This record gives sequence, structure tokens and C-alpha cells, in this order.
Amino acid sequence: MKPASPMMKQILSCGSAVIASLIIGGASLTFAQESVSVRATLVTGGLPLDDPNAAAWSSAPPASFPMSPQVHWPNRIQEVTVKDVGVRALHDGKQVVFLLEYADPTQDQDDGAALEFMVGDKKAHFAHGQPMLQVEGGPVNIWFWKNKAGKAVDMSAKGFGTLKPQSHQDVNAKGVYSNGTWKVVFSRNLSTDHPEEDVQITPGEFISIAFAVWDGRKDAAGELVEKGSQKAVSSWWYFRADAPPDYSSYMYAAIAAALALGFQFVLIRKLKKGQ
Amino acid sequence: MGALGKPIILMVGMYLFLKFVLPYIPGSAPLPSSLIFLYLLLTASGIVIYETLSGESKDAFWEPMQRFLTGEKIGGLQALRYGVLILFPLLVGWQTYGSTATSDLPPTESRTIHPAPPGEYTGLSNPVPKTPENIMQGKGFYAAFCSPCHGGNFDGKGPAARGFIPAPANFADPTTIAMLQESYLFWRIKKGGVGLPIEGAPWKSAMPRWEVELPDEWIWKIIMGEYDGAHQSPRTWE
Repeated sequence: MKPASPMMKQILSCGSAVIASLIIGGASLTFAQESVSVRATLVTGGLPLDDPNAAAWSSAPPASFPMSPQVHWPNRIQEVTVKDVGVRALHDGKQVVFLLEYADPTQDQDDGAALEFMVGDKKAHFAHGQPMLQVEGGPVNIWFWKNKAGKAVDMSAKGFGTLKPQSHQDVNAKGVYSNGTWKVVFSRNLSTDHPEEDVQITPGEFISIAFAVWDGRKDAAGELVEKGSQKAVSSWWYFRADAPPDYSSYMYAAIAAALALGFQFVLIRKLKKGQ
Repeated sequence: MGALGKPIILMVGMYLFLKFVLPYIPGSAPLPSSLIFLYLLLTASGIVIYETLSGESKDAFWEPMQRFLTGEKIGGLQALRYGVLILFPLLVGWQTYGSTATSDLPPTESRTIHPAPPGEYTGLSNPVPKTPENIMQGKGFYAAFCSPCHGGNFDGKGPAARGFIPAPANFADPTTIAMLQESYLFWRIKKGGVGLPIEGAPWKSAMPRWEVELPDEWIWKIIMGEYDGAHQSPRTWE
């Protein structure tokens, strides 16, 4: 057994190099993904439906997205209070819950926030599903929360000026303000009975999502600075509710490796016999 | 191992040529790794065909490989042999995992940055005379309507730009307005993000549809001011 030990060392060092490269590759993949999408982690045992400070949120990976003033359509605005939103999400296979977090120096009655989703297979422009001139786009579903109302409004739009509350209200929301930060929780069932108006969330599938925020402060004349289309907006990003863990690819990999090993074995046996 | 020396040198040489020499030949570009793999596969099959043409060369070609696999009389290469025999199934398993596992990455977006404009917006020439007054006026309009996103320095870094993906065009960059005609800019300014065709998806452009707010003459003046301010000139076909 003596001559085997330097050989084993060599094999082990080769193996650990392969494992190291796998880890490095895997880590960089995860990193690239964090900045472009919101992931809803699958949890069992209760979602924090109206508690932005629940411990369960720590199991959701945070994502942060930059905001711009809405300039696409009049009335536009050139400067807004909120520069970034932090987003987390969780789901339990039945309901999804989003946590929106952003810095706002003052708590105002007219503070508000919204999530926007593409609905169906047709793509939509991120500005309220504004109609495209050359291609037919789809509608957007908007979940709108306002501090004053203390609840969410489930809305549909296909362009500026077409925004209206739906006849079926499926979304709940609750905002909590403390230390200069708004934390707003939105929740809804993953699927609803109105797929032509509501975004349908299938675990494992990527869906386009965008964000909007209104700082309800007033100027010296007592007028609202941010209202209606004058708000902070984000571009489209991706959202995905995690699918239940699927270990089948580990099994396929093990089968393939076993087949390769068997092939080697048969090949070498044949070669040895032939000589 | 003598008979394997030449093929190995040939394969390595081919790889180095494809990877490091070919991209620098004028008019060429770096090859994608899938294409390099395909070329190497073709080279390898060429070598196998050549080496197995006669019975003699065939034996000389396969014999060392057989000896390596069976491990007979290979002395110090025994460790390498075990390494190969262990790594090959692992590699097969890894590749299988990679091709069957669900990806954590969002769908890729193959946006065409400068899609073709509709026919009526090709070949238009700027009807506004290129006088210092008109350029000056165009820069004034630019400052009022465009600079919040495209920047006072025409660099796409205006104060309102940060949340928009794609970022507002940087006009000082030689790959934007310098490679476009004035007619193209006229179309993009007039119709904005919603005027993009299907190949311009995913339609994240925040560019306003300025035709509903600004007269054509102002738009032509803005184009003039943009080229002048960014120190670029429009592309022409002469």
C-alpha cells in the first residue's frame, strides 16, 4: 500500500481543485443574480402577512433597486425623494408577501408605494404599460398602497390615464414607519380567478416587476410635490417565487457518472483481453 | 508516446492560434468558446482520420493510448492514469448536472440597441439651417428637456438617470449619435421609448414621446445642439 499514498495525494489535490473551482463558479453566479431579481423564498409555517419586522424576513434575500423621477410622460418630475428601494419576498406555495423598504425623512398622510407587474404573455412598457406604437403590448397589474388609506388597491392599466381599481380586490398591504424608514408589506394569493387582469405567480417562473414611490410632503404653498405621475419609478426587474427543491438533476448526474465509470471499466477490460 | 507528440502539439497550436492569434488579424474578432470547441473537434477528427489511414500508423497512434488506459508498463504515469479515470466520470456527472439543473439566472434579453426606424424616418435631412443662433437655441432646448437624463455634459449622466436601465445614451460616446444619421435621432426623439419595434424589447426605455410636446422644428434644433455639444458629427453616406 505504500506506493499508493503519493498517488492518493495527487488525486486528492486534483479533486480539491475541481471542488474549489465549482464553489468559486457557484458563488459568482449567485452574486450576479442578486442585483437583477427579487426572489421569494419558499417557507413553511406562516408568512408575516402584516408584520414588516417579523423574524421570518431575515430568511428572504434582500435586493435593492435604483429609482428615477418619472420622466416618460407629462406631468413629469425632475427630482424625487426616494433614491433606492429595498425589496424582499417570501411565499408558502399559496400566498406571496413582499416587503418594500425605503428611506423617507418625513411621515406624511400622502406617502405611497406601488408594485407593478406584467400580466400575461405580452410584454408591456414599464411606464404603466404605455401603448407601444409598433407592437401590441399587454396590460400591467398595479398594487398601490397609500398611508392615508391604510390598505392596498388592486389596479389595472394599459397606458397613462387608463389606471383604474379592479372590481375584484385581491391585495392586502400594511405600512409601518419608524426611524425615517417606511416598511410596507404587500400580500396576495399566488394565483387569482382573473388572469387577464391579475399577475399569476407560478413558482419557478420569472415575472417582470417594477416599483414606484411617492413622498407625500408638501411645498411652501401647501401643494403636494409628488402626486399622480410625478413619482419615483424603477425600471423593469425580474421576480421569481422559488420552486420547491428539485433534486432530480443530482440523480441524473449520478447516473451519468456511473455510466461513464462503467464504460471505462468495460473499455479497459476489453483492451486488456485483446492484448 | 512518440506517435502522440505531434497530434498533441497540433491541438495545442490550433487552440493558441484560434484564441490568441486569429482575433488580431484585421477584420477578425474574438471567437466564442463554442466555436473554438467546434474547430478543435474538427481538428481532432482530422488527426484521427489521418493517423488511421494505414494499418501501421493506426497501431502507432492507438498503441500508446491503449497502454495508458490499461496501465501496462507506463511507470510514473500511473498516478495520472488514476487521475484521468476518476476525473472523467466526475466531469460527465458535472456536465449532466449543469445541463439539467434549473437556472437561477433570469432570462437573457437580446435587445437591439439601434433597431431600424420605420421607412418614413430614413434619409430625412435637417431642414433647419445650421447657423450659430439655431445651434445655440437647440442647446437651450436640450438643457430644458433632455439634460435631466442625458446630462449637461451630453454624457448620459443627468441627475434623473440613475434608475433607468438601459442608461440614457451618452452622446459623447462614439458608438451613439456619431454612428447614426440625423434622421434616426429625429425618429427616436419624436417617438421615444414607446416607438421601439419588437426587437427593441424589453421596452425599458424611459425616453419620452416628444412629438406630443415639442414641434418638429425644436426637435431638429435639439439634434443640432446635441451634435455640437457632444463634439460629434452625424453619420453620412458620402
